[in-house]
Amino acid sequence: MSAAAWARRYGALMRNAWMVDLQYRAAILLWVLWGLAEPAIALGIWWTIAGPAEVGGYDQAAFARYFFGVMLVNQLTIAWDSWYLDRWIRAGELNFRLARPLHPAHEAVADNIAYKVRTGSLMLVVWLFVALAWPAARLPFDPAHWALGAVAVLLAAAMRFCISFTTGLLAFWTTRATAIMELHSGISLFLAGRIAPLALLPPPVGALAGILWFRSTLAFPVDLLTGSVSGTGPLLRGFAGQIVWLALWILACRLVWRRGIVRYGAVGG
Amino acid sequence: MTPDPHPLRRPRWAAVLAALLRLNLAEELQYRANFVASLLGTLFWIATALLTLALFFRHTEQLGGWSYWEVVVLLGVFNTLTGVIEAVLRPGIGQLTEEVRKGGLDLVLSRPVDPLAFVSFRRLDLWRFTDVGCGLALAGYALVRLGRVPTVLEVTSFFIALIAAAVVVYSIWVALMSLAFWFVSVENLSVLFDSLYEGARYPVSAYPGALRFVFVYLLPIAWTTTIPAAALVGRVQPGVAAGAAAVAAAALLLARLVWQTALRRYTGAGG
Repeated sequence: MSAAAWARRYGALMRNAWMVDLQYRAAILLWVLWGLAEPAIALGIWWTIAGPAEVGGYDQAAFARYFFGVMLVNQLTIAWDSWYLDRWIRAGELNFRLARPLHPAHEAVADNIAYKVRTGSLMLVVWLFVALAWPAARLPFDPAHWALGAVAVLLAAAMRFCISFTTGLLAFWTTRATAIMELHSGISLFLAGRIAPLALLPPPVGALAGILWFRSTLAFPVDLLTGSVSGTGPLLRGFAGQIVWLALWILACRLVWRRGIVRYGAVGG
Repeated sequence: MTPDPHPLRRPRWAAVLAALLRLNLAEELQYRANFVASLLGTLFWIATALLTLALFFRHTEQLGGWSYWEVVVLLGVFNTLTGVIEAVLRPGIGQLTEEVRKGGLDLVLSRPVDPLAFVSFRRLDLWRFTDVGCGLALAGYALVRLGRVPTVLEVTSFFIALIAAAVVVYSIWVALMSLAFWFVSVENLSVLFDSLYEGARYPVSAYPGALRFVFVYLLPIAWTTTIPAAALVGRVQPGVAAGAAAVAAAALLLARLVWQTALRRYTGAGG
């Protein structure tokens, strides 16, 4: 298929997703608020713990930068797909999607883009106001760094999408696919850096986060934006981790999809 | 006002509640695997909460003046209240937005029972009461680790404060869900509660400036865990339970008022 045809298809899918989201804009606002609560509370606790001193190299301003980065990056990379897929598969809503001449993953990708444009721009506005009013939360401005940060956020979003999609596909086999996603979310509380910068974890745990995919999904893009990660070596290692794990998750996603669809057909037929 | 066609058969409160409980029990017993899943889920979330706390205490000796095991007592209270929310509030009053949207509330209103009580207690997720058990056990274990034996008065005051906290949380849900009568399209109003309830994980004294203003004064949800825990570890006088009970009674009254105002709106729209 030509690039123009793809652009037309994605245009239609995203327009559709945008209109659906428009109906639920108040509900989406509540989800955004919910996403802010966790980092805001973590920031509050670390702020109190740090006091006038430093904790593991982080003073109050550094914590503020980190957790405001978490709010932004988390909103831009969050993927609800395992919940959608779980419903699609269990309620049979996957059937008409399979009948379309387009892989259902494209609809999910378009949904994600539309959702993130909406919520991400909202977050950006809030975040600009906070940065104006509160200098401590301002991220260092360096165009090259921000461009790299945008790439890292994009890679993280793609990976979280693949993880969520793959986990949702487990609904072909189990009724507890969303529970597995919750489990992943609980682990990522620590390993992805949602509750604390990875530098504050016990060193072996922090190292494990870097070896597995967790750091790539959140902490690395945030550290990049706040300037904690800089220099060619650490940047290359971070991006290499993101690319390798993204490739592995894409493979896993395709494999699980292929196996699952065979099984689904067998049940339906 | 039309006369009641069956004046003698108007069901009594306790009988209705008992019948609802029996019904729920019969239904839940069909899904016994859910008990194991619920228990595993609870243990997992307690583990993550304890690890989070351990992470904070790697870098500090106290949190807002509370020692590690004192905060664990509070975490036990948090988990107990979570159990009440998940077992009673979310499956009950939490479904109100859906009912208002789809008109299912008509069926409730046509019954000869108090609509608020019926909506609140008709559906229970009984397995989630495991959270209540686990939470109380955690608080008890933390007390042992503190090496503290509370007096009978303190334990009494703890339970009164805990029940008061549950009533306050219930009142917040009623008031919040009543918003569904105005904002029909917002189907996830309970998310607003979940966001705020996150703030109840830690003692109120652990929050700085703006956050303290939000969680402690503006929407005083953090008190629901701090007060019972403080009563149990002896940080406040046992008399505080009387105050908590008074606040709970006032909250319940206020919530009922909001509910009645909201319900009039529904009747108005339906008629």
